[in-house]
Amino acid sequence: MRTRKIVIISLLVGLGLVLHLVENMIPLSFLIPGAKLGLANIANLLGLILFGFFAGLQILLLRIFLGSILAGTFMTINFYLSLSGGLLGYLIMSLFFYYLREKFSIIGVSLGGAVFHNIGQIITAYIIISNTAIFYYLPYLILLALPTGVGIGLVTIFTYNYLPRELKRIDV
Amino acid sequence: MTNYDKILIILIIVFSLIMILYPFISAYLDNGEEQNAFIYIKDSSQEVRRIPLSETYQDEPIIIEAEGPLGISIIEIHQGRARLKKAPEEDPAKICEKTGWISKPGPSIICVPNKISVWIETEDSDLDAISW
Repeated sequence: MRTRKIVIISLLVGLGLVLHLVENMIPLSFLIPGAKLGLANIANLLGLILFGFFAGLQILLLRIFLGSILAGTFMTINFYLSLSGGLLGYLIMSLFFYYLREKFSIIGVSLGGAVFHNIGQIITAYIIISNTAIFYYLPYLILLALPTGVGIGLVTIFTYNYLPRELKRIDV
Repeated sequence: MTNYDKILIILIIVFSLIMILYPFISAYLDNGEEQNAFIYIKDSSQEVRRIPLSETYQDEPIIIEAEGPLGISIIEIHQGRARLKKAPEEDPAKICEKTGWISKPGPSIICVPNKISVWIETEDSDLDAISW
């Protein structure tokens, strides 16, 4: 089971990397500056459901580190922006998943993550640029996080239901 | 989808709509904001340049070069509007270039990697740059 877990986690890291690259090809910045689909979130959300908090965190961090090394943005401002948004979004998703499990479905978990991903990024951008004008775009970003968050949640549920039964710990 | 999911969705919609509408309502309440509007440009050295909007109605656009950690961003100001015309090549996303023109208080051009921001503010407004 241990080898199997390592293999599946690394597959999810690869999945996250590919989704991260695909996501960069879809331009949403003309709608709202900085807007993104958040497709890579599918990988760490699946990791969180399948193996728990630390596996999902592993997938998230490995994806951000490897992705930024591949894109040549390691240790630049873009790297810190995706790290802060990713971490805050993941922490909120874990809180929803572990403590509000009976109230929210995976759609709600993903939605919380999407909203707080944006909040984390805007706060980091504000610390870097120290101009309150940046908060103007936050409500627009949160409004766009609604369809993307719900969509990511649905995709995760569909993918999870496709997985073999012996992998699943819980039903979603 | 559970009922709590739907409540969360409705809460997010209400919250973001209030945040979107608030600057419009407060701008509507204090009239005559077209007077004394300034374009502010802040670069990475935290130096702020202020240009009156009324001086931009000329044939030739005003070109300003702002320097940041990645290089020089070129800002164009013309006919009461401002845009970031050219971001440095090293900027991976070039979000500031894609933002396009801004012409009224509220929207702003922000280049986080190059630490440059451009926004419009009125002088006699008791509101902050962004109203919150």
